Amino acid sequence: MTMTNPNENMLDDLFAQARATAPAPSDDLMARVLADADAMLPCQPAAVAPQMGLWARLLDMIGGWPSVSGLAAATVAGVWVGVAPPSTVEDLTATMIGDEVSISLFSADLMLGAGALNDG
Amino acid sequence: MNALPDPFAGAPDEALLVAYANGDGQAARYLTARLLPRILAQATRMLGNQTEAEDVAQDAMMRLWKIAPDWRQGEAQVSTWVYRVVSNLCTDRLRKRRGGVTLDQVAEPLDATPSVTAQIQTQARMTALSDALAQLPERQAQAVSLRHLEGLANPQIAQIMDISVRSVESLIARGKRALTELMAGRKAELGYDDDEPE
Repeated sequence: MTMTNPNENMLDDLFAQARATAPAPSDDLMARVLADADAMLPCQPAAVAPQMGLWARLLDMIGGWPSVSGLAAATVAGVWVGVAPPSTVEDLTATMIGDEVSISLFSADLMLGAGALNDG
Repeated sequence: MNALPDPFAGAPDEALLVAYANGDGQAARYLTARLLPRILAQATRMLGNQTEAEDVAQDAMMRLWKIAPDWRQGEAQVSTWVYRVVSNLCTDRLRKRRGGVTLDQVAEPLDATPSVTAQIQTQARMTALSDALAQLPERQAQAVSLRHLEGLANPQIAQIMDISVRSVESLIARGKRALTELMAGRKAELGYDDDEPE
C-alpha cells in the first residue's frame, strides 16, 4: 500500500529542482583546472645516465666484479701451469713442437758479459 | 577548442587520462571539457553553494591529474572514480558545516521582482536540502545524493561506494526517511505550505 506523504512530495520536488541545477563551469574555473593540469603534466623521463669513470667503464665492459674474479683465477691457473706444468701438458708440447726447447733466462753470454765487465 | 576537431572523439576517458600521463597536455584540455561540467554539477547539487562547489571541482580534477601516472587501466572507470572522489570531498565539507551556521543568510534583493524572488527561493531550497544532507550519516548522504540528485542506478552506486546493492537500498531508504523528517519543519519557510496543503 502506498500512501502519499506531503513531506515526501516536498522532498521529491526538492530533488527534482536540484537535478535541474547544472551550472556551466566558469572561464575562471576552467583556467584554474587547466593550470593545475599543466603544472602536474608528467614529463618524459630525462634519460641522463651518470658519467662513469674509466675503471668503472672497463669493469662494466668485461661484466663486473664476478668476471674479474674469474679472470684472476684463470691468470693464477695459467701462471701455475707455466711454472709447474703437469706431465700431460709437457707431453702435448713435445708432440706439437717436436722438441723440448728450454730457454734460460740467465744465458751464458749474458753471464760472461757481466763477468767481463767485472774483470775490466 | 571547440572549433578544432576533437582528436580524442570516441576515445574513452581512460584513454585521455593515459595520454595525459604520457605527457600529452592536449588530452587534459579535452578531458577537462568532458568531466568538469558533470563534476561541478554534482558538487553544486550536494553543497548548494557555488563557491564551495568550484573548490571541490578543482580539487577533484587535481586528484585526477595526480593519479594519472599510476592509473591502473581496466580496473575502474574514470567516471566511477570521479563520482566517488567528488562524493567524498562533498561529505567532508558537509561534515565541517554540521553544527555550524546554516546558510540561510540569502541577501534580500533591492528590487524583488518575481523572477529574482523565485531564484532566491530556489537557492534557499537548495541550501536547505544541502544542510539537511549534512545532518545525515555520511554514507547515507552519499547514497541519497547519488540516487536522487545524480539519478544513478543502485548497481552503479554500489560500485561507486564499493558496497552491495542491498546496502545501497538500505542506506537510501534510511537516508530519505531522515531527510523527510528534517525537511518537514521547514515547509512554510521554503514556500511549500501554499502549494501542498496537508
